Amino acid sequence: MKRKDKGWFALFTVPLLFIFTTVVIIPFIIGIVYSFYKWDGIPANPKIFVGFNNFVQIFQDDRFIASAWNTVKFTVFALIAVNLLGLVFSLIVTTKLRVSNAARTMFFMPNLIGGLILGYIWQFIFTDAFNFIGDKTGLHSIFFNWLLDPQYALYAMVIVFTWQMAGYTMIIYIAGIQGVPDDLIEAAKVDGANLWHRLTRIIFPLLMPSFTICLFLTLSGAFKIFDVNLSLTKGGPSNATEMFAMNIYNEIFGYGHYGLGQAKAIIFFLVVAIITLTQVIITKKREVQM
Amino acid sequence: MKQIGKYVSEILLVVLAVAFLSPVYIMVVNSFKNRAELYQSALALPSSLSFQYYAQAMDKMNFLTAFRNSLFVTVVSVLFIVILSSMTAWMLVRTNNRLSQIIFMTLVATMLIPFQTLMMPLMQVMDFIRTNFHIPMLNTHGGLIYMNVGFNASMAVFLYHGFMKSVPIALEEAATLDGCSKFGVFWRIVFPLLKTITVTIAILDVIALWNDYLLPSLTLADKGLRTIPLSTFYFFGEFTIVWNLAMAGLTLTVIPVVIFYVFSQKYIIKGIAAGAVK
Amino acid sequence: MKKVKKVFGLLTATVLIGALVGCGGSNSGSSSPSASASGSASASAPASAEKLKKITIFQSKVEIAQPLEDLAKKYTQETGNQVEVWGSAGDAYLTQLQAKLTSNQGPSIFSIGPGPEAAKFKSYFYDLSNEPYVKNIAPNMDLKEDGKTVGVPYGVEGYGLVYNKSLVDPKNVTDLASFTKTLQDLKAKGKNGLSLSQEAYFLIGHIINTPFALQPDPQAFIDKLNKGEVKMADTKEFQEFGKFIDAIKANTINPMQVKYDSQMGDFATGKTAMVHQGNWSYGMFKDYGKLGFDVGMMPFPLAGNNKLAVGVASNWVINGKADPDEIKAASAFLNWLFTSDTGKNAIVNDFKFIPAMTNIEAANLDPLSKTVYDAAKSGQTIPWATNYFPQGIIINDLTPVAQEYFLKKDMTGQQFLQKLDAAWAKASK
Repeated sequence: MKRKDKGWFALFTVPLLFIFTTVVIIPFIIGIVYSFYKWDGIPANPKIFVGFNNFVQIFQDDRFIASAWNTVKFTVFALIAVNLLGLVFSLIVTTKLRVSNAARTMFFMPNLIGGLILGYIWQFIFTDAFNFIGDKTGLHSIFFNWLLDPQYALYAMVIVFTWQMAGYTMIIYIAGIQGVPDDLIEAAKVDGANLWHRLTRIIFPLLMPSFTICLFLTLSGAFKIFDVNLSLTKGGPSNATEMFAMNIYNEIFGYGHYGLGQAKAIIFFLVVAIITLTQVIITKKREVQM
Repeated sequence: MKQIGKYVSEILLVVLAVAFLSPVYIMVVNSFKNRAELYQSALALPSSLSFQYYAQAMDKMNFLTAFRNSLFVTVVSVLFIVILSSMTAWMLVRTNNRLSQIIFMTLVATMLIPFQTLMMPLMQVMDFIRTNFHIPMLNTHGGLIYMNVGFNASMAVFLYHGFMKSVPIALEEAATLDGCSKFGVFWRIVFPLLKTITVTIAILDVIALWNDYLLPSLTLADKGLRTIPLSTFYFFGEFTIVWNLAMAGLTLTVIPVVIFYVFSQKYIIKGIAAGAVK
Repeated sequence: MKKVKKVFGLLTATVLIGALVGCGGSNSGSSSPSASASGSASASAPASAEKLKKITIFQSKVEIAQPLEDLAKKYTQETGNQVEVWGSAGDAYLTQLQAKLTSNQGPSIFSIGPGPEAAKFKSYFYDLSNEPYVKNIAPNMDLKEDGKTVGVPYGVEGYGLVYNKSLVDPKNVTDLASFTKTLQDLKAKGKNGLSLSQEAYFLIGHIINTPFALQPDPQAFIDKLNKGEVKMADTKEFQEFGKFIDAIKANTINPMQVKYDSQMGDFATGKTAMVHQGNWSYGMFKDYGKLGFDVGMMPFPLAGNNKLAVGVASNWVINGKADPDEIKAASAFLNWLFTSDTGKNAIVNDFKFIPAMTNIEAANLDPLSKTVYDAAKSGQTIPWATNYFPQGIIINDLTPVAQEYFLKKDMTGQQFLQKLDAAWAKASK
């Protein structure tokens, strides 16, 4: 790089990176340091250096392993459901139907309702509405209180998360679809390509950046899920839906095991980062420069 | 035949969209019920359509002040996020070396850190800045905006990075030959071409920041500084929620972003057509 | 190009300066009064002997947030001193408190629960032993750490079986046999005899207090339990507790299906005869109009227990890490709160607390609070042994076991106790 280019590089990137470093990187490093201590998180209380002891403890913690497993299951279901639905929505609402615009707004609406209260609203649906439908239709095997069944409570979380995130990925897919030049599609039509071919040969390859982004955003959102977890199931019944972020939160603030909680966060971060960065690198390679 | 098919798919789409919105129904109807009525049925329509709970909620939340605070924090944060992230992303994409890759991957990887594990160290860092550099990072809107930018930077860079590929390099090179400096190229040529993704990022960030509770709850304390989500705390007791006021408060929170979204999505569509480079 | 250059330069400058220095519209620290009401109030306030530093209050009970703000305004009017009341949602209070204390943001006065919660934060407590108002705290009601009085109680609260007087006669709820029979009789009449609800404290946290509180020395028992020297499953009172909870499981609606809201709704509409609840639950009847029956509270009759569980849920403490002027101002506020007529009146009538101070008379108590107040006065109470539980154990460890017990049809009370023992052993490790 030439010296002048270096200057430009710094001018463009340093302001953001400076802020980012003070807000995210430094706190994260402080967190890593604490993971070697036994400490309850109160500055005035004693910090005892315990080396890798916290990390060793993690692997004896059945509940953490269980919550990590819950999180993996949840993420896989959520990843598929959110992206499938988001992609379908985006394809539907970019067609030239009169109701497309209204539908687009409506599909996106769930996203406008934030965090905690979303879980409370869905509690009404899974308890009151499901019991009501079950009573009216007699389909008690489907419509019962899902939140009380360890298996179904996890599906309930997937539904709520999908409901919220599908609109989110939809608008990113829309941004991608609209970047596909119309003349390319028209040309394909003239050449006699049917809808499936137009999708798989033209639109999907050009949508690769959107796929990268949506898959990653869903992945990171699902791995980090906390608000909906807290307000919908509180991790119950009997810890069946306790996700990773909640487990860490409980460790840090519930039990006051600050160092142990940080150690958990780091382990999980490393595992997830390796998986997802591989995913990003793979899908990035498939993107095409226009 | 084709016409009928179109009608059917339109009707199906509307039905799907309405079903998708049923949880919003729960939110709205229960903002009109008192505790006894809610107990009777959470699903039924309210017995009367009186807006008293909205009035009460607005009064308790100090709605106008909260609205002004939310608006200020959200708009300024998003402005900074968009400007700084787009510049960073462009440089990272166009400077293809190790450093850019490391920076990019670091930004992306940190999106996987749960905020709950960062919040205590973050408070310490902010306190450190305050005591050593005498910059009021806590209990100020400025400090909150600063942190908002930091936390949302990676996603914005990630999105811009992904969409930078749709900007033809040839155009940039032409402009450079014409004597444009780097920022000339960026603001004149590149940024306008990123309109769609900019609006998309703006929408996503506006919503996230408008609804954010956790970070503001840690940094803002004074009543006069509270954002809208912070102001709804009155309705959330340890064991029970004042449902009607909470739902009314939530509806009031959501309405501004719905309006914003409806306007900006029109802009996305237009932006595509207008943004094409001649 | 020139224009662009200018714009860009300006932007960079704004970014750097704006981001670093903090943006316009921000308050520079907590010293400046907030924009709203308090500013104008101070202007009209009578000049007091000495202007004290502005203080901040952070507390967990959302129900008194509004009355406390109103009271703070009155304090400013009467004394000219400023008080800022911060807001917090119930669940997140401790986390937010920890964040605020970690970053040295204050507050000057905050609330804290007894037991492990207080122990965790004790390095922040200012020693109140020499303050005038602590002399008025009712016997054994003050918060002590290391022999010093550090906290003033909000008030007392109590729980037990809240019952519908037209459906239940306390004479028929005195031991396991009569308790079970009452539940069966009510079930035959189409009533739900007793309702717990799915929230951690209402499912298990409160009801399990009784067998602990009935131990000769509850605190010593919990210590032994932590060390693994005793087991609940081998202890007489717990074995009977297992039978009680079996009777509840066999004869009433599954508490996992019930939320606090619906629990109190069912009670208010006469569908449920008893709920295991506290005096605070009376507030839930507000929207139901006239109840059409009288409400009473009686002890949970485990192992012959005939006393209500009464204790202090929260205390006011002063942040000892604040600067001396702020501590002085904070103490002045607490003094005013507990000795001035305005303050005392607010505690009783606006906060609706049952006072735990000898110099404050209770007034206008609802029936449940009256029962608790009388019990507290006569000393006929059992303690809140749950205060000595390890931190977080009720929500994180005991509740999942209780959920399992109520959701698994064939799990017995004895098995429940064994699982509770196992969960306890793990949590106290």
